[in-house]
Amino acid sequence: MTLLLELSGIAKSYAGAAALADLSLAVGAGEYISILGPSGSGKSTMLRVIAGFETPDAGDVRLEGRSILAMPAHERGIGFVFQGFALFPHMSVADNVGFGLRNRSRSPVTDEAEIRRRVAEALELLGLTGLGARAVSQVSGGQKQRVALARTLVADPKIVLLDEPLGALDANLRERMMIELKRIQSQLGGTFLHVTGNEQEALAMGGRVAVLDQGRIAQISPPQTLYNQPGSVRVARFLNCYNIFQGTVGDGAFRFTDAALPLPGAAAAGAAAYCIRADKVTVAEGEEPAGPGEAGIAGRFIAGEYSGARVTYLFDVAGSRPVEVEYHLSHRRPRSFEAGRRYALRWPAADALVFPG
Amino acid sequence: MTIEAEMTMTKAAPARTGRGRTGWRVAALLAAPGALWMTAFLVVPIAMMVYVSFWTQKTFTIEPVLTLQNWASFFGTSTYLSALWTTVRIWLIVLATTLALGYPVALYIGLFVRNKTIQTILLVVCVVPFWTSFLIRILAWRPMLGTEGAVNILLMKLGVIAEPIGGLLFTELSVVIGMTQIYVVFMVGPIAFMLSRIEPSLIEAARDLGAGTGRIFRTVILPLSLPGVIVGAIFVSVMVLGEFATAAALSGRKVNMLGNIIVTQVGSLKWAFAAVVGVILTVVMGVVIAGLLRLVDLRKEL
Repeated sequence: MTLLLELSGIAKSYAGAAALADLSLAVGAGEYISILGPSGSGKSTMLRVIAGFETPDAGDVRLEGRSILAMPAHERGIGFVFQGFALFPHMSVADNVGFGLRNRSRSPVTDEAEIRRRVAEALELLGLTGLGARAVSQVSGGQKQRVALARTLVADPKIVLLDEPLGALDANLRERMMIELKRIQSQLGGTFLHVTGNEQEALAMGGRVAVLDQGRIAQISPPQTLYNQPGSVRVARFLNCYNIFQGTVGDGAFRFTDAALPLPGAAAAGAAAYCIRADKVTVAEGEEPAGPGEAGIAGRFIAGEYSGARVTYLFDVAGSRPVEVEYHLSHRRPRSFEAGRRYALRWPAADALVFPG
Repeated sequence: MTIEAEMTMTKAAPARTGRGRTGWRVAALLAAPGALWMTAFLVVPIAMMVYVSFWTQKTFTIEPVLTLQNWASFFGTSTYLSALWTTVRIWLIVLATTLALGYPVALYIGLFVRNKTIQTILLVVCVVPFWTSFLIRILAWRPMLGTEGAVNILLMKLGVIAEPIGGLLFTELSVVIGMTQIYVVFMVGPIAFMLSRIEPSLIEAARDLGAGTGRIFRTVILPLSLPGVIVGAIFVSVMVLGEFATAAALSGRKVNMLGNIIVTQVGSLKWAFAAVVGVILTVVMGVVIAGLLRLVDLRKEL
């Protein structure tokens, strides 16, 4: 895989507040990388620096080995799909899609027949055939998203930056668009950088997922690795599927309040965070002691939330935020618990992750 | 039955033809004050003006005997025809100067200043001159433009000219300068409003698609601000076409617009002839506004 885009040591701050701090990232040609970060993590700023809408305070951006920092945005040949689509309201769908071909300063296409042909191709790729003559106000939200994509893809950009591209769509459309984006990327073989605040979307889309935290990349791994082995407690928190206990490691166990949980492996003594994924936890009646190789804790049942393929149960555990237990109904039967009663929560000790700090 | 109840009824049955008799009654009731007002203060006066323009003018009176005499004397007298031409010429020049000066200011306020508070402050600053009276604003140009006025003194002090320029005041130029200064703000306001509604991401998108600054202006910014230009042009046109005070105060009565003719004729009790000029002015304005509205579909754009 050849290196296409390289960010090294990028820093950018607004009025003293750092948005990006020493951010480095290498993107290979043909990769689909999703960038997961909470709002304010600097993910949009990162895309804007790559596109050339912002100049970083420090660091370098290299495209195909050459620094592009001195190059104005309109000469970089990078495609940017905006969160709000940013379609030109005074132009038809076809004119929006053909805008770049017609108006770019580098090798604009002057042959109208050629423009028409390429616009028609792009519309077909996005399933918009027949909508070219419509005003952008006459197409639906999902179609607007496709027009925005077609407008970017028609110019054959070196890399496509997607800034929360599915954020403005409703859940139903979002799922369809995720599949569609994947299809388009594999069909065109392009390089996509997809920024999102939604962990499901990040895991589903990315060949690799980068977690952006406080202006730097906290972890970048394939989705399975990220999901099973987050590299830090902060990454685990962003994934939104881990129960996290704050306590200390000492005498070969993790301790918080009066509970002692066996350690999954060696861990340095001192303050630590103990993480266990919600779908690894099982619920047993009463105060049954944990079996060998198991860790356990007592919790009072609060409520259950049914959401189709799975049920999430919430338990109140002393000294912690409510603990989530997730039952995937394809391989576990739903249970009914009595609100306010104490149950024993268990999980295989080896599945837990312990991080210092 | 309350109005609200009727409204929900009409909403609930949109498929039925018409709104039903109660719906029409409410609509008529709501429209009546406006219709009465417009009839009493617009339709009737205009009809009256057209009617009076055909009356017979005696030395100090007018009589309701219909004649084409007033119309014939307007189109048969070069003074009046040249006043019509002067009006159209000054209107076109002032339209061009207010647009040329106003657009860049609007571009700055509407597009480059992204802070709403500062935008509002700047627009208020634009209308500060209106805190003084109209006449003072015009007359202030006399000590500015005169042969021994501020402009000449400054240019001589700077060594740009050796002799004072004489043609600055009491010419068509001084009228154009005065009108431009007074009316430019009516151009700035609507354009700045339209420009401020352009999403910054649109301009970024155009840049990302490879367009340079000039292209972006031509293909995105200008078309999206066009409704503002048209609204500003309508404001300026209506005010300049009906103007007389600036021309009177800054031209030394050498530049006569249709408005000046009306003032003079009314002053000498020639009401019928003034009505002719009034009708012609109204027609000119109607044509100008209709023409401007054809350029842009304001209902769609605003």
